[in-house]
Amino acid sequence: MKTDAEVVVSALRGSQDAYRELVKRFERPVYSLILRMVQDPASAEDLAQEVFVKAFRRLNTYDPQWKFSSWLFKIAHNSTIDHLRRGTPETVPLEAADDERGSLGAVLADETVEDPLAAAERRDLGRSLERAIALLRPEYRQAVLMFYAHGASYQEICEVTGLPLGTVKTNLHRARKELAQAMTSLGWGPETGRALAS
Amino acid sequence: MNGMRPPHSNASNAVDRWLAAERYDGDDQADAALLELFESLPLIAPPAGFADRVILRAGIPATRRDLFASRGARLAVAVCLVALGLGAVWLPPVLRVLAGFWSFGGLVQGGVRALADAAQWLATALRVWDLLLTIGRALTQPLTMPQVTAGLVVCLLISSLAFRLLRDQLTGERNWTYVDPI
Repeated sequence: MKTDAEVVVSALRGSQDAYRELVKRFERPVYSLILRMVQDPASAEDLAQEVFVKAFRRLNTYDPQWKFSSWLFKIAHNSTIDHLRRGTPETVPLEAADDERGSLGAVLADETVEDPLAAAERRDLGRSLERAIALLRPEYRQAVLMFYAHGASYQEICEVTGLPLGTVKTNLHRARKELAQAMTSLGWGPETGRALAS
Repeated sequence: MNGMRPPHSNASNAVDRWLAAERYDGDDQADAALLELFESLPLIAPPAGFADRVILRAGIPATRRDLFASRGARLAVAVCLVALGLGAVWLPPVLRVLAGFWSFGGLVQGGVRALADAAQWLATALRVWDLLLTIGRALTQPLTMPQVTAGLVVCLLISSLAFRLLRDQLTGERNWTYVDPI
C-alpha cells in the first residue's frame, strides 16, 4: 500500500485516481470532525468538500515531512472556524436531529450486535454526549474531538490549531471538565442510576 | 431503579468511570475512560458519492489509464524486450547450424519423397470415391423403374400424412386446459 506522501506525488503528476484515493483515505475523519463541530450534516458535507478542494489546490505546498492528516486537519480546522465565525447560528442537537444519519446517537446504537435494551442505552448515551459536545465552545470542542475521537497527539493539535502546547493542554483539561459537568447534569454518572430511556 | 438497567455496554461503563474519576480529580483515569468512550464511536462516513462530488468540484480531469502504470506490465514488457534482443543475437548462428545439417541433395530428395507420399494419398482417396460412386449407382438403379418410383412416392405420401396426424394430435393435447377442481 502506498504511503500518503506517495499518493500525493501521484496526484501532483495528474492522476485522478490518486486524488480519489486521498479522498477515500481521509473522508471519514474529516467529515466526522466537521460534522461534530458544526452539528449539521448538510453544512458538514459542504465544508468537507471545500476542505478537500482547498487541499488539492494547494497540494504542491504540502511538505511530506509532516503527516498528511495533520495538514488536512489544519485546513479543516481553518474552514470550520471560518464557517462558525461567519455567524452561522450554532445548532444544539435536539432529539429530532438524533434520528438523522451520522449523529452520535445513531452511531452509538449499533442494534445489529446488541440486544435492544443495550442499544437503547447506547443511543441515549450518544444523544447526551452529542449534546454535551455541542455545548462546548468551538476551540474546546475541536480539541476534544481531535484528541479523544481522532487520537491526535498534543503536538498535532498544536500544529493544526496554531496554539501553544500549554494552551492546548489547558483547553483539553477544561473541555473535559465542562463535558463531564454537562454529562452529569444530563443525568449520567455512577451514582445517578440513570435508567434506560429516562 | 438500578435493577431495571440493562447490562452495561463498554461505552456505558466508560462514562461511569470517567465521571467518577472527575469527582476525585483523577485526570489520568478520566482521560483513559474518556478515550475508551470515544473509541467506541466509529468515524462517520459522508453521504455516498462524496469522493465523486469532491473530484467534480475540484475540477480534476480524468486521466487516461496508462497501460504501463503497473509494475507487472512494465516487468512483462522488459522481459519480452530482453527475449527479443537475445533472439536477435542468437537466431543467425542457430539458423546457420541448422542449414549445415541439410545439403541441397537432401532437400531435393525430401521434396520428391513428399510429392510421392501426396500422390499416394490422392490415389487412395480416388479409389474410395470410386467405391462410393459404385454403391450410389447400385442403390439408384431400381429408381429408374417406374413401379419402384411410384411405390416410393406412395410411401412418402403415407409417412407425410401420418406425421401430420401425429402433429395435430400432439398440438390438440397441448391446448387443453386443466383446472384444479379444488
